[in-house]
Amino acid sequence: MSNEDPTQSMDDAERALDAMLAQALRAPALPIMFRAQLNLALKRATTMERERQRLDDEYQQQLAELESGYLRLRYRTLGTLLGGTFAAGVAVALLMPWFNATFGANARFALAIIGAVVGVGIGTVSWLRRLGYANPLEMF
Amino acid sequence: MQAGWADAALEDRDILDLLHKGARDQAFAQLLDRYEHKLYRLCCALLRDTTLAQDAAQEALVRIWRALPNYDGRASLSTWLYAITRNRCLTAMARRRDESAVLDSAADAEQVSVEDVVPDDRSALLNALIGQLPQRYRHVLTLFYYEDRSISEVAAMLAIPEGTIKTTLHRARAALMEKLRRRGLDTPSTWLETNK
Repeated sequence: MSNEDPTQSMDDAERALDAMLAQALRAPALPIMFRAQLNLALKRATTMERERQRLDDEYQQQLAELESGYLRLRYRTLGTLLGGTFAAGVAVALLMPWFNATFGANARFALAIIGAVVGVGIGTVSWLRRLGYANPLEMF
Repeated sequence: MQAGWADAALEDRDILDLLHKGARDQAFAQLLDRYEHKLYRLCCALLRDTTLAQDAAQEALVRIWRALPNYDGRASLSTWLYAITRNRCLTAMARRRDESAVLDSAADAEQVSVEDVVPDDRSALLNALIGQLPQRYRHVLTLFYYEDRSISEVAAMLAIPEGTIKTTLHRARAALMEKLRRRGLDTPSTWLETNK
């Protein structure tokens, strides 16, 4: 705090004004109920903060679950792709002699057409499932 | 001023120690005992309305309580507390401006004008005249007397250098004296008589 006396360098008029100002501008006392109301406000704030924290935790948990589900889905998709490719390769290797015997020089084209039909079929089924239609394969 | 702030910082060390220990409630209780009056007076000086000041002080203290665990000690505790409180007051002032823009005539009717004041009621007249001063004069003048004429405390509360506070005070008093002179009330004897 400043220790100098601010009234030292004043003339009579200023000193009189200073005294009047000190009288007119009295420091307001803290309202009696201030602490009680503040405690209520703090209690409300605590409840809100807890609720916000709970919601935040819940949201984070859901987000983590979603993320792990997404990762699982990606791994499954990758597994399906690798497995499918491997199975297709094995099937072609096993069926190639029969294709050559049946279609002769056109065996390659027949194989490509069958591959395309199977691919389009898988694509159609997955799109139908995504659009909410029943799996057509399950009908049989 | 330096010594004043250093003293305040030393005084606040116990609050900081409690905060470091994670005792937020105890730290806040100490802080309330030390600062709630000052923060309320700051709100009163800035808002000139005890109801608004009470609300603003309460909102500021709730904010302080929430932010207390994040207080990093870069600024002194008092500086930090005053800054939060000033911001709440500025928000309240902006809200009041918006409301008074809508209810302009009603607000005007509630304002005590100098002409309404009974000439013998010097205190009320002085308050009405202070109300006519520019905002920064009003804030400094009011806080100066609220804080027992401590320039360093007013400087800390308003985040203004002490030199500026002294100049503003001088100009505010001069402006007030001029207003009194215009009403023929600048004779010291008149004032001193009423003070007796």
